[in-house]
Amino acid sequence: MVPGEVRRRKVWLVALLGALLIAVAIALNIGWIVVNWRTGLLLLVGIISFAILIAGLCFNTAFLIREIRRNEQHNAFIHAVTHELKTPLASITLYLQTLRQRDVDSVRQQEFIETMLVDAARLQSTIDQVLLAGKTGTARRVGNPTDVDISEVVDECVTVAGRRHHLVNGEVQVVSRLPDGEEAVVMGDREEIHAAITNLIDNAIKYSGEQVKVAVELVKLGARRVAINVRDQGMGIGSDELKRVFRRFYRIPGALGLRVRGTGLGLSIVRAVARRHGGRAYAESEGSGKGSLFTLELPLKPS
Amino acid sequence: MKRLLVVEDEEHLANGLKFNLEAEGYTVDVDENGEAALHRLTQGSNRVDLVLLDVMLPGLDGFEVVQRLRAAGSFVPVVMLTARGHTDDVLRGFEHGADDYLPKPFDLSILLARIQGLLRRKTWLEKDSAAGSSQVPDEYLFCGRRIDFARQVLERDGVAQPMTLMETTLLRHLIEREGHAVSRRMLLEEVWGVRHDTDTRTVDNFIARLRRAIEDEPSSPQHLQTVRGVGYRFVANPTVAL
Repeated sequence: MVPGEVRRRKVWLVALLGALLIAVAIALNIGWIVVNWRTGLLLLVGIISFAILIAGLCFNTAFLIREIRRNEQHNAFIHAVTHELKTPLASITLYLQTLRQRDVDSVRQQEFIETMLVDAARLQSTIDQVLLAGKTGTARRVGNPTDVDISEVVDECVTVAGRRHHLVNGEVQVVSRLPDGEEAVVMGDREEIHAAITNLIDNAIKYSGEQVKVAVELVKLGARRVAINVRDQGMGIGSDELKRVFRRFYRIPGALGLRVRGTGLGLSIVRAVARRHGGRAYAESEGSGKGSLFTLELPLKPS
Repeated sequence: MKRLLVVEDEEHLANGLKFNLEAEGYTVDVDENGEAALHRLTQGSNRVDLVLLDVMLPGLDGFEVVQRLRAAGSFVPVVMLTARGHTDDVLRGFEHGADDYLPKPFDLSILLARIQGLLRRKTWLEKDSAAGSSQVPDEYLFCGRRIDFARQVLERDGVAQPMTLMETTLLRHLIEREGHAVSRRMLLEEVWGVRHDTDTRTVDNFIARLRRAIEDEPSSPQHLQTVRGVGYRFVANPTVAL
């Protein structure tokens, strides 16, 4: 049996046990009331004790289930990070050993070096992601906020993402900018906002499949807020998953999810960054296979 | 020329492996998922001599691939490559029918040595049977069982059962030292050709598989005996020997 299945069965056993205990406690409570309804004070004390007992049991069961779930996700995360760290490292090691042990012509050498650089960048991005998740996961507010020009950050993110994913034919485009002369300035941490937008664009590309078409929009919502919309034509998200995808370590289960690399940290970082800036992040999708729209909303600096 | 199949979805690793293996004189095919590899191995027209199999593949994972491969009757040597370096993962790989295992990142020379080792063992099994030069003949009979080392087949009560390369090699090693205890360490070094990087439980795992194949009651083995504190001993005829 697959370990995941074993764990899931354990979760249900615990849940069943909790539910049974609660049912027994409720039955006892009712029975006790029926037997002792005449003795007023005792009855009151008994009802209160039973209520406490039942509440305790409910709490305990819910807590256990949550902990087991969390543990399961944490394991999956460790697994994914191990894979994300070791695979590029294995590749770099292999190419370095090849260069050391064999006579490689200069064209090939150049090719190997390019490959190693791409792997190094992949390592770097996994490490950054883990560090950023640690940073945004602890403190509630941005440390030393500065003025951040959102238009500029969005343009930079789109250019970098396109280059990193070797998309040169405008597969990722900013389709809507602010009117001329207007700017959107947010008080915050430029690096964090950059990482959040990059995560949204990266996800849009990764979950697009073969045909990548990602549209980024920058829209002002009244005078107080600015929204960054990232829209893709990819695999989409089921309605029950729309909130869950922002949870830390959460990854959409199923075959398609398996084919996409990742650690399950990206969207949790987006949400944490939004909250740290007093904004919010959310997803919309018309369902599986119909693409999705991710929005990062941030408050503008009061003018 | 030996033909190798690399099953790896990470393009960089696959290309690097292909380059090195071709430089060693092997013909190399690459498949990026388990389904394609299974199809090639079970229905392909070219005979594959050895498979390098990644564990974390999209769709079917490496464990499942090797299990289905064995179930389909293919006993081509399989080396598993994986980022999951836990002992449990190693054991799981062997349980599913892998012959050898290397954690990522791996050392290129070690990988090449392991591949050569497996190919040599395979040739050695085949050649020995052709030339009849080994101490143990290609066919070995004991207590109503017949082992054909070249074809990697165990026949018992008229039923032929294929064995993996490492199962055959391990059994042959123990049979050649019939009646003598051989330590787990020695078996790892001499049969697998590994020194410090593999758990000795690997051996226990293979012994358990062999027992299921040859013993009447695998839980109280007569032929593949455990020698407490040492390792294992093969006894062809337990009633006479003890």
